[in-house]
Amino acid sequence: MADRYDVIIVGAGPAGLAAAIYAARARLRTLVLDESVPGGQMKTTHKVSNYPGFPEDVKGTDLARAFSLQAERFGAKIRRAIEITGHDLSGPMKTFELDEEETVEAPAVIVATGARPRELGVAGESKYRGRGISYCATCDGAYFEGKEIHVIGGGNSAVEESLFLTQFAKKVTIVHQFDHFQAEPVSAAEALASPKIEVIWDSEPRAFLGDNQLEKLRIENVKTKEVRELATDGVFVFVGYVPRTDLVKGVVKMNAWGYVETGEDMSTDVPGLYVAGDIRAKQFRQITTAVADGTVAALAVQKYVKSLARAAA
Amino acid sequence: MSEYVQEITQAEFETEVARSTLPVVLDFFSTECPPCEALAPKFDAVAEQFSGKARFLKIFRQGNRDLATRLGVTGSPTLVFFKGGAEQGERMSGEEIKRSALKAQVESLLGA
Repeated sequence: MADRYDVIIVGAGPAGLAAAIYAARARLRTLVLDESVPGGQMKTTHKVSNYPGFPEDVKGTDLARAFSLQAERFGAKIRRAIEITGHDLSGPMKTFELDEEETVEAPAVIVATGARPRELGVAGESKYRGRGISYCATCDGAYFEGKEIHVIGGGNSAVEESLFLTQFAKKVTIVHQFDHFQAEPVSAAEALASPKIEVIWDSEPRAFLGDNQLEKLRIENVKTKEVRELATDGVFVFVGYVPRTDLVKGVVKMNAWGYVETGEDMSTDVPGLYVAGDIRAKQFRQITTAVADGTVAALAVQKYVKSLARAAA
Repeated sequence: MSEYVQEITQAEFETEVARSTLPVVLDFFSTECPPCEALAPKFDAVAEQFSGKARFLKIFRQGNRDLATRLGVTGSPTLVFFKGGAEQGERMSGEEIKRSALKAQVESLLGA
């Protein structure tokens, strides 16, 4: 027998947890599934400075914990470290098989699986992952105490995490493909002023080299075409994100970049199936926009579940 | 931590890992590491499944830097697999370690 809910939310990032808060407060039986611990990308962000309501910087992990405690306070059930081993989202009753051993179902589903860090797709990247290459500064920064490291990227994540990494590393060299940062001016200026941070502009990584361990980074200047190899103790990669759409592939309409197209109420082409947060086709991806999406999706789900109840009555 | 998982220090590496008669899965973890927190329940579950057939050990990276350096581990969590004292198979690391993938890797370690 499947355990029955009114709504199942997949992904416990800001979108999924905001949806859970609204759904649970509306007294919908609400289940949140996450393959990790709650927080999504927030939980590995060392500090958040632009989330309203916090006059001082807040740690991403603290914000993540606050979101999940709030959702649980209203009765949402959050399942952690769950692997979805089977699913059917196309029919009126949507089902998930969890860890090959139990089944849950609901008439409404909000997929808020967000995005994962983009890999560079450069030679040697998978070989040296965990052997010098990292995608998470909060997790791995301490491994590089007193070392000289490189950061690839120039957006908010790259610049802010570089600043965080200066706590550990002796020197952080940012390699960026353009001649200026895409990051917000405040963090960009802070990075440029940091005595521990150096920037190599107009350059892209071409290969990771070493023996058993990452030792060198090969970069190419995209303007002069000059190629050189830099000795490195470690490389952190922050070059954007790719949507995590495995659950909805082939079920809903996606745009050319793989993001899911929705109506203004977060609905997809499939009745009862909603998406929210970074997985959605839209222009901006922030914690605030994810929260807004989650809110809208949960309100739309309330209407949908009520309409089903009326139809059944 | 479940009863099927044991935490070791680098001083115990020789006896617990290198000279173990059973295959060993060694998990390097850190504090302030959400992916490590996420892996823990999956690691416990798979450890229970292979109880008596393989050993599941954890080692705190910050307290055991020399071993991490010696094995070239630079990220948490990292799973390193051993059989007959020698490292075998691909390491697994980061947030995306799935329970089913870990299970499959342990099965192939036992079969190899």
